[in-house]
Amino acid sequence: MKHILLACSAGMSTSLLVSKMKEAAEAKGIEAEIWAVAQDKAPKEMERADVLLIGPQMRFMKKKFSKTAEEVGIPLDVIDPVSYGRVDGAAVLNKALELMGE
Amino acid sequence: MNKFMEVLENILMPIADKLNNNRYLTALRNGFMVALPFIIFGSIFVVIANFPFLDQWISESAYEAYQAALGPASASTLSIMGLFVIIGIGYKLTEHYGGESIYGGAVALASFLILTPQVIDFETANKTVEQVGGVIPTASLGAEGMFLGIFTAFIAAELYRFFVEKDWTIKMPAGVPEAVSRSFSALIPITLTLTSFLIVRIIFSYTPFDTVQNFIYTLIQEPLTALGSGLPATLVAVLLIQLFWFFGLHGQIIVNSVFDPIWYALNNQNLDAFNAGQELPNIVTKQFIDTFIVGIGGSGMTLAVIIGIFLIGRSRQLKELGKLGAPAGIFNVNEPVIFGLPIIMNPLVIIPWLIAPVIVTFVTYFAMASGMVPYPNGVIVPWTTPTVLSGFLATGNSWQGGALQLVNIAIVFVIWWPFLKIMDKQYYENEHSAEEERNESVNM
Repeated sequence: MKHILLACSAGMSTSLLVSKMKEAAEAKGIEAEIWAVAQDKAPKEMERADVLLIGPQMRFMKKKFSKTAEEVGIPLDVIDPVSYGRVDGAAVLNKALELMGE
Repeated sequence: MNKFMEVLENILMPIADKLNNNRYLTALRNGFMVALPFIIFGSIFVVIANFPFLDQWISESAYEAYQAALGPASASTLSIMGLFVIIGIGYKLTEHYGGESIYGGAVALASFLILTPQVIDFETANKTVEQVGGVIPTASLGAEGMFLGIFTAFIAAELYRFFVEKDWTIKMPAGVPEAVSRSFSALIPITLTLTSFLIVRIIFSYTPFDTVQNFIYTLIQEPLTALGSGLPATLVAVLLIQLFWFFGLHGQIIVNSVFDPIWYALNNQNLDAFNAGQELPNIVTKQFIDTFIVGIGGSGMTLAVIIGIFLIGRSRQLKELGKLGAPAGIFNVNEPVIFGLPIIMNPLVIIPWLIAPVIVTFVTYFAMASGMVPYPNGVIVPWTTPTVLSGFLATGNSWQGGALQLVNIAIVFVIWWPFLKIMDKQYYENEHSAEEERNESVNM
């Protein structure tokens, strides 16, 4: 079971992506829990995540999240703006898997 | 052009980084987030209490009873929103330092109350003014106390942390239950923090300002809100939001962390006046920005862009984007448009992107100043509320608010039209030539 966490300002636009990623994961036969939160909830939620993806509009939060990510030992990155704009679930899922080293 | 953009991004990115990773601004933003559900609860009941035409359908006394019955809902939440922001800031800042956050919130609240006036002037029947004690004026907990509350919460949380770290705590012998010793360990830092504020209060009572609230209000809040309620500062804020978004950075969250205290203070001034049946003082408030400038499909009023795509889109790329962006856009989520059109770093859209909101700001301001559209009455409409409904609610249940939003959409649409047309043509031609190439290679 993979735990993929997404964060943006209010968790709204990333939750749009979450539903697409879930579809992509199902199509690939990957068992994954994927969920989106607002940025202020992200540090707490990271404790039960395997990877954190940040919405590109919040990329200035990366530095701040990096500290917590290091503490809990998970990788993180900013979602590529093009995949984000296209709400391309498959591409973002691949990115998450790549980050987790799969 | 690329060089210029690079330079601009190199300027904006550190600003965004600084504003968002500053622990005080983060605590402030999260403090407002704590207050938001309460603010919206109160707003819902202001809307219900002032339901349109109700005053004409039922008798005057029944209407008064109806309003009085619902009044406490907003009086205990929206009108005194400062309290929730203060608790939120104290809590979040203490949490940031790894302290016992609930004490951080409580100590911020108590510190603020210590600095708050605890008498009100009361005009007696024979026109003399008497001071009534044993009260806390609710205006001090809302509009007037907003800035004092924010500063107090910062300082209280800092002092509390300072005294905790000094570790002048009462040590309990082993064997005392942990909860007991914990309640004592908070005692000394809290006592010292609150005593400091009490001393400040006493000192101020000997100055011409009388209270600290009066001091902060006169010297900081009033000038800043006066500045913030004017068109120039509003235009700067709107342009900054657009500029940040152009580089794919979340404009509101960055700009709001500076402007929210001002916009909310202006908002609550209107609410107090509305509840008292007086003339509303401010055009620019939290809702002016959120409902009429930003909240028409998301920043940059992209609902108009989506409508444009449906009307003129021939290219597959724009059609796809329209389908993807419309359902989210109705609820003012527009990241698909911003990153998909794309708006970010697209030299073609920078003109409509920056100009349309400026013109809409002018139009909205003057529509309200001239009396065609009522001022926002101080209710806070959740930002995901669809256009027209949000305009109706924000202006105290009046249809002119919704109509103004439609006018704003039309303005944005007209400004965007030629640029959208060019973009669509480019995409269409690219798609076509790509298809032709593919066909040719199949034929060979």
